Amino acid sequence: MSLVQQTLLLYRKDLRVEVRKKESLIAMAFFGALIMVILNLAAGLGGRIEAEPAAGILWVAILFSSVLGLGRVFAREKENGCVAALLVSPLSPGAIFAAKALVNFTLMSFSELVLVPVFFALFGTGLQPSPLILLVLLMLVNIGFSAAGTLLSALAAGTRRNEVLLPILLYPLCLPLVALAVKATGAAFAGRPVSAILDQLEPMAAFGLIYAAVGYLLFAHAVREV
Amino acid sequence: MLKRYDPFAVLALFAVPGAAATVFFYAPLERTMGVVQKIFYFHLGLAAAAFLSFFVACVAGILYLVKRQRAWDERGAAAVEIGVLFTTLVLLTGSIWGRPIWNTWWTWDPRLTTSLILWFIFAACLILRSAVEQEEKRAVFCAVMAIVGFVDVPVVFLSARLWRSIHPTVIRSEGIALEPAMLVTLAVSLTAMLILWAALFRLRCSLQRQENALLDLQQQLQR
Repeated sequence: MSLVQQTLLLYRKDLRVEVRKKESLIAMAFFGALIMVILNLAAGLGGRIEAEPAAGILWVAILFSSVLGLGRVFAREKENGCVAALLVSPLSPGAIFAAKALVNFTLMSFSELVLVPVFFALFGTGLQPSPLILLVLLMLVNIGFSAAGTLLSALAAGTRRNEVLLPILLYPLCLPLVALAVKATGAAFAGRPVSAILDQLEPMAAFGLIYAAVGYLLFAHAVREV
Repeated sequence: MLKRYDPFAVLALFAVPGAAATVFFYAPLERTMGVVQKIFYFHLGLAAAAFLSFFVACVAGILYLVKRQRAWDERGAAAVEIGVLFTTLVLLTGSIWGRPIWNTWWTWDPRLTTSLILWFIFAACLILRSAVEQEEKRAVFCAVMAIVGFVDVPVVFLSARLWRSIHPTVIRSEGIALEPAMLVTLAVSLTAMLILWAALFRLRCSLQRQENALLDLQQQLQR
């Protein structure tokens, strides 16, 4: 089997598990919506929220909810010793990494299908983003976050403090990505054109590329120890 | 096996007080900032040593994953620990300087933000190290984390441009904007900090080596 076929096989398996149990997606969407309500308190009750703080609320909700899904992807494999089974199977570790990253990417994208409309319902007054720019920003963050997150969730799953450790390891790394995303989304919410946010889009794309490459290279080492 | 005195530790014993003496007795007083400016010599030396630490940690991580020798894990562990310590000191000395000069302990400046994010990343490495019991697993995980943390540096630096800068730039591409006597002091204190770094690094490595040797002995006894 080629790398692409192996990846798709694993990807379909994980999605099937998720579709049947729906444990990650419901939790992610619910928690994300909850965070938006909570952050409404931080931003001042009832007041209108400016473009950039609004962008911050959207990204904090998305990132905090995504870590729930990230943690489950490996914890689930560990429960019945499935990691060992994956490793003795003739699949390459690179394919396992790509499949898990794709699963995380898909989970994030689907939870955003809920979270973004909820966000606009709660905070959307006066924001005028172009849907295309917002889509590009969402995709760039999803790529970067799921690439870095997949590698680190393999590390976290190997320890006895999985749930605690994953956000501690992942959020510092993703801070620059989030800062760039907040800045760019704030500008998009204020109705500025793409040329104004190109400075932020480039490092965001670089983040995704760097962690996709690093994850692909280092994942084999990490997963053998899980 | 064990040397009584590490040559770098002995050297640091003279270099660090020597640098302090140079800073306080040789370097001229800055006209507007006064005596507060003197912390800059330590601040810059510590910052250079901190970045060196993270670079060494990344290289040690790569070499561990390639060679699987315990020595590289020991070096990586030492580098991350000293790097976190030195970054903490950089942030503290910067704050002490910033309070009288900028009238605030903290501001979201690119350099400050970069240092803070790096502090968080490598402090997370320390937490990861304490969370894993088995030696080989711990070594692999920490190596991966050190590499992953270091490759973040360019993105951290690019993203840091988002924040506006009020940090002084002493070393620019056109040259160094310092009085000759201040430059000498800076060179002395930078050298002293690097010697201190090397001394701490070697001591920490040898401590780690002894801890590992002790664990080996305990395991042999249990058999």
